[in-house]
Amino acid sequence: MFFTIFLNEIKYWFGRPALYIYILIFLFIGLMMSGASAGLFDFLTVTTGSSKIVNSPLGITGLFGGLTGLIIFLYPSIIGVAVYRDYKSEMHTILYSYPFTKAEYLFAKFFSGIFIVNIIVLITGLGIALGFVLPGTNPDIVTAFDIRSYLDIYLIYILPNMLFMGAIVFGIVTFTRNISAGFITVLILLICQGFLANLFDDPERRFIAAILDPFGDSSIYYYTRYWTVSEQNELYLPIKGVVIYNRLIWGAVGIVLFTTIYKLFRFSQNAFTINFNKKDSKRTTKSNFGGIVKINLPKINLNFSLKNELKSLWKLSNIDFLFIVKSWPFISIVLVGLLINLIGLFELGNIFGTSTLPRTWRMLQAGSSFTLAINICTFLYAGILIHRSRISNINQLIDTTPIPNWVLLGSKFLAILKMQLVLLSLIMITGLLFQTYQGFYDYEIGHYIYELLVLNLLYFIIWAFLAFLVQTLISNPYVGLFVMIVLLIGIPLTQLAGIEQSIFKYNQGPGFSYSDMNGYGARLGPYFIYNFYWLCLGIIFYILTALFYIRGLPKNFREKLIIAKSRFNGKYPFFISIFTIIFISIGGYIYYTNNILNDRTSSKEREIETVEWEKKYKKYENYNQPRIVSVNVDVNIFPDSRDVNASGEYTMINKTTEAIDSIFLDHNSALSTFKFDKENSLVSEDTLYNFDIYKLKKPLFTGDTLKLSFTVKNKPNTLLRNNSNVIYNGTFLNSSLFPILGYSGGELTDDKTREKYDLPPNKLKPHPSDSTALGNTYIAKDADWIDFEATVSTSKDQIAIAPGYLQKEWIEGDRRYFHYKMDSKILNFYAFNSAKYEVVQDKWNDVNLEIYYHKDHDYNLDRMMKGMKAALEYCSTNFSPYQHRQLRIIEFPRTSGGFAQSFPNTVPFSEDIGFIADVDDSEEGGNDYAFFITVHEVAHQWWAHQVIGADVLGATVLSESLSEYVTLKVIEKVNGKKKMRKFLKRSLDEYLTSRTFESKRENALMYNDGQGYIRYQKGSLIFYALSDYIGEKKLNKALKKYVNKVAFQEPPYTTTIDLVNHVKEVTPDSLNYLIKDMFETITLYQNKIVSTESKKLENGKYQVDIEFKVSKYRNDEKGKIFYGNEERDSISFKTEEMKKPEYSVFLSDYVDVGIFGEEDDKETELYLKKHKISSINNKVSIIVDKEPIEVGIDPYNKLIDTNSEDNRKKINQEIL
Amino acid sequence: MKLTINNLTKTYGNKVKALDNINLKIGKGMFGLLGPNGAGKSTLMRTIATLQSPDSGEINFNEIDVLKDQLSLRKILGYLPQSFGVYPKMSAEELLNYFALLKGISVKKEREELVNELLDITNLQDVKKKNVDGYSGGMKQRFGIAQLLLNDPKLIIVDEPTAGLDPAERQRFLNVLREVGTNCTVIFSTHIVDDVKELCNDMAILNGGRILKHIKPVEATAEIKNQIWTKVVKREELDEAEVNFNILSSNYNIDNTLTIRVHSEKKPAAGFKKTEPQLDDVYFIALKEDQ
Repeated sequence: MFFTIFLNEIKYWFGRPALYIYILIFLFIGLMMSGASAGLFDFLTVTTGSSKIVNSPLGITGLFGGLTGLIIFLYPSIIGVAVYRDYKSEMHTILYSYPFTKAEYLFAKFFSGIFIVNIIVLITGLGIALGFVLPGTNPDIVTAFDIRSYLDIYLIYILPNMLFMGAIVFGIVTFTRNISAGFITVLILLICQGFLANLFDDPERRFIAAILDPFGDSSIYYYTRYWTVSEQNELYLPIKGVVIYNRLIWGAVGIVLFTTIYKLFRFSQNAFTINFNKKDSKRTTKSNFGGIVKINLPKINLNFSLKNELKSLWKLSNIDFLFIVKSWPFISIVLVGLLINLIGLFELGNIFGTSTLPRTWRMLQAGSSFTLAINICTFLYAGILIHRSRISNINQLIDTTPIPNWVLLGSKFLAILKMQLVLLSLIMITGLLFQTYQGFYDYEIGHYIYELLVLNLLYFIIWAFLAFLVQTLISNPYVGLFVMIVLLIGIPLTQLAGIEQSIFKYNQGPGFSYSDMNGYGARLGPYFIYNFYWLCLGIIFYILTALFYIRGLPKNFREKLIIAKSRFNGKYPFFISIFTIIFISIGGYIYYTNNILNDRTSSKEREIETVEWEKKYKKYENYNQPRIVSVNVDVNIFPDSRDVNASGEYTMINKTTEAIDSIFLDHNSALSTFKFDKENSLVSEDTLYNFDIYKLKKPLFTGDTLKLSFTVKNKPNTLLRNNSNVIYNGTFLNSSLFPILGYSGGELTDDKTREKYDLPPNKLKPHPSDSTALGNTYIAKDADWIDFEATVSTSKDQIAIAPGYLQKEWIEGDRRYFHYKMDSKILNFYAFNSAKYEVVQDKWNDVNLEIYYHKDHDYNLDRMMKGMKAALEYCSTNFSPYQHRQLRIIEFPRTSGGFAQSFPNTVPFSEDIGFIADVDDSEEGGNDYAFFITVHEVAHQWWAHQVIGADVLGATVLSESLSEYVTLKVIEKVNGKKKMRKFLKRSLDEYLTSRTFESKRENALMYNDGQGYIRYQKGSLIFYALSDYIGEKKLNKALKKYVNKVAFQEPPYTTTIDLVNHVKEVTPDSLNYLIKDMFETITLYQNKIVSTESKKLENGKYQVDIEFKVSKYRNDEKGKIFYGNEERDSISFKTEEMKKPEYSVFLSDYVDVGIFGEEDDKETELYLKKHKISSINNKVSIIVDKEPIEVGIDPYNKLIDTNSEDNRKKINQEIL
Repeated sequence: MKLTINNLTKTYGNKVKALDNINLKIGKGMFGLLGPNGAGKSTLMRTIATLQSPDSGEINFNEIDVLKDQLSLRKILGYLPQSFGVYPKMSAEELLNYFALLKGISVKKEREELVNELLDITNLQDVKKKNVDGYSGGMKQRFGIAQLLLNDPKLIIVDEPTAGLDPAERQRFLNVLREVGTNCTVIFSTHIVDDVKELCNDMAILNGGRILKHIKPVEATAEIKNQIWTKVVKREELDEAEVNFNILSSNYNIDNTLTIRVHSEKKPAAGFKKTEPQLDDVYFIALKEDQ
């Protein structure tokens, strides 16, 4: 009997067009996704170059992960519906009287659904496998087909998930007899997963996430999190430990679920309901026999006026709206959405464990987690409203009433609109509640309403239009929902296939973003234009919907087409043509502006331009150029019209030993004029790359001076395009406004891509040992140290700032002028800011401290002041005096970036990385980043503005790593050593995670290519550990000596080699291995406590026995593990039980061993000492005075360790 | 008040001719459309009720060209399909209000008054707050009548309304229909001859998409007066009788004999007794002649 039912189900599916639609969709998506990842569209878009193999087991897992997210949306309509279908067709009344068992019936139904989904998965897998080898893919990043990669994923992930989630959905749909309920379940599962992953992202909670994730992703990620590129390319999925636990747990949950379904299921006529008032049930009898009634109906007025129809439209929409909000799929989506929103509110803006003040823009940002919920509700309920009458079989009654189609359809659309409004208002309500809860009373209701009900609503309406059309054409609302989800996800992905212009992608366009300083800025214009454009298409879709709207009982598509044709009269053609004309006109205008009026380069074209640029001009790279020695500029900023114009003069000197005959000017695309004070001719003008060559009539001899006067003006701004970086309030311009001298690089870096374009392999930057490469700093190629002077003007109500000291300030007309002059040499690196600022002032010794801030943002000014003082104090004491008499922090809007940048005596500082931090100063509180980002930036006044590295590998160590080192030391002074672990662990986690995304190579710190994760995270960890090993004083002494040697030096510039030599001088021989591990190689530890015990001694002291392991390994630039250059460089350890020995690089290392007690619920250090370690497995016995609670090997995570969690262990108390 | 149907034809995708060149004129009063299952009754009624479009032909009601100006017809139409569902979790009162809104009754007070009156008429007053999806077949059918009457229709179309109703419900339903049907055109399809006999002043017999007979019930029986004969036969004799006589129907008696009814202008054979013609006989004769 099982097989009869099973086969019958399968036969049913193979007769359904839906199955073939699904198969085609997934085959296509599978092909395209794997194809795109393997470079299928390289001829259209940028070359996919990477050192990662795309069809490695992990690569395939990623692709499948994305697709299974879609596939589970099929569960409700394939697995879930199996039993429900018998109810719906009322087949159950007959079927359930047949002689088969419950088990046969349920299993056959369930497994037939699973079987069908498996067919789709199989075909998706086929699509993926084929996609990798489609002609046109890049064979360098695709390895041979390996069935095990696919089988592993199928058996670990897909099949168990399908059984488990299929069981849930099957149960839910069977009992509620509601497919929507199945969809909601899937949605909630998906949301929960994302949510879990976020909530347990903290390293200490990852284990929980790995166990709890119902999809199993987190459990795999638990192991693969830190996999280097080479490991990602080569290793199979780890099937061990937590992965197995996770699968077992959820497998068990699945079995329990199915058993419950089995137990609860009855062959009965009625749906599973919960009845609370069974006691009140009554026996009913009939009493309405016969009887003639006199029918005398009251006279009523039937009113078919437009006014009345509009009234009906409104009332009908209320009925539909109430239906939506009362239906429990809606309620559950809203509840889950609200929960996520609330948690998002708590988590968002959390930087280094410290949250941001709940400003309104932040509440709105958190509300965007609601976007998916609103879209799903729109897609689903559009379909349900359109097909509800047919599904309920009430359509014959409704369709014969005299209500016009436009009222009927319009009322449904209006109901969806009301639903969207309610959902959007919920974001406002939760935001306001949250603000109140946080005691933040700067309510900005207008801001909420404007963004939610104007800006956001537009976006959702445009989707609603498409949803109505799709749902009308597809008669099954769940297939319609699925198609809409595919469109929602798929439309932006067409980017991968080279469709880059938003006007070709439905409901895509420029977004908007808000900052307290600048509001929405000038971005709303384009936003509205694009939205109006899509609104027109949406309305056209809506008219088509009206044409195809089903009234009555058409039998097939041909009949619908005939009806649509017959409806296409009267106003329809008129409106369609009107909106088509507007749509095409706006589209044409955008296209014309972006493609014809301006050059729009696709990313493919940009790639080719980069190649051409290099081929054409790289030959001039080493052509002698004079050096800029002085810059004097007038910059006029016009905040209202967002324009800038500037004029200026460069003074240049030939510092080479040869005569210079040509000047290469590399400038931007703004309107510029250039004039030299020596006779010359323009021999080459390139309007594409803006690279001009001037030949001097008489060559510039050694020591001669040349002056260049220039003017720069931005092209006028238009509705769609901003041609300057000036904004209404908070402008931040830098020296890229002005021309530079010589070829400036910016080449393609991927060697495979370069090969394709006949370019030689790229060396990136020269090695620091290359003495010919030390002529330039990594900041500028055309200057060493310059004199700087600037006059900046802005509107009357703003303050304009540039590096230097204010000489004079005056007002002329409605313009305010500021004249700044620097009295010492600075790098050729400066910026201009302008906004309506408030100013707070203070002093440190003779240095004037100032913070220019937005008027509401006065929350953390004292923390930033404190930061400036602490950094000035630390650096001037330990390294050298501060070179300026003034230090200024200048706020700029978050919409211009979330960073701070140090210029000479000037630090532009984004509004959302300190100004509005909500710092919690308690013990448990997060880091005071307003303070430490300030420290970091001020430290740059030394490490960048005094000591600047040559433009070779490792240069950023001299600026970023050392500034970060200063930061850690200052924090340590403020917070104490114990709090550092949190900081160090975070940096370690960020370093280990970021390096897995490396697409080119990871070099040792000394020779790094400038990646953020090396120069910040790894660099700071290493210098902090170094100061711990050789002592802060000693290290700073070495740094001081180094600063004294190289500060403000002329070329050749310093390199990391010089720095490391200084460090070596103060490093004892016993610690020389550190230099190799830290600077010269990538060395990682695997330290771990194996076991520990303690016992109380007779003298009241405690003996602690600890067994621990220390080992370290090295990585090459691709992350491949090795243990030394030669066999004898490594050691190994193996016990009887171990299958394979453990290896380590030869050890003669000093590692912290710590023992910790507890006092007043706080950790106390009972013992901390560096032990010399020379073997992998170690046992020590230590006596401490107080009761020990926990032990640790490298307990503060000073070393780079791939698992920082097993460094500590609680002590097993020996019971006496 | 006249409904005219000219040359109405409809073929479904599977080549079934549901309507085959139908011509009908229907006046005021109750019109019975009689036919076996699958005769095309529902197709014809749905087509008149603007739910389906025919392949060709015309339908006019008074001045209204039904196929072109559907909205005008819907304003005066009351339609009750063969089977219908309702929105779950909506009470009779709510649903009737909803339909009143759809039918263009704009004044809230009028709507409420009317709904109240209709609930009385259909005897649903006690259960008006109960969800209609929990109603029994009879109650649901009464609800159907109530919604149909909302717009004071001039043309009422009811498709096999009495199927599945218990005798009391059926009687009640027919009474109400009769009551409202005096001043308008009621088209009423059924395969139960008694329904037509009791109610209709005009009727047509439809089979295979064709009108086999269009006649007043009274005239129909008059037409075959003296032509219907009965005889009680044994079960074994039936086969022979079927060959020899034009048997319209045969019914078992309690003693396992059969009473056969035969159509013949003269006495068919010895043992036959003349009997009063019934509408059933008209129906069977029409169907037989069509074979």
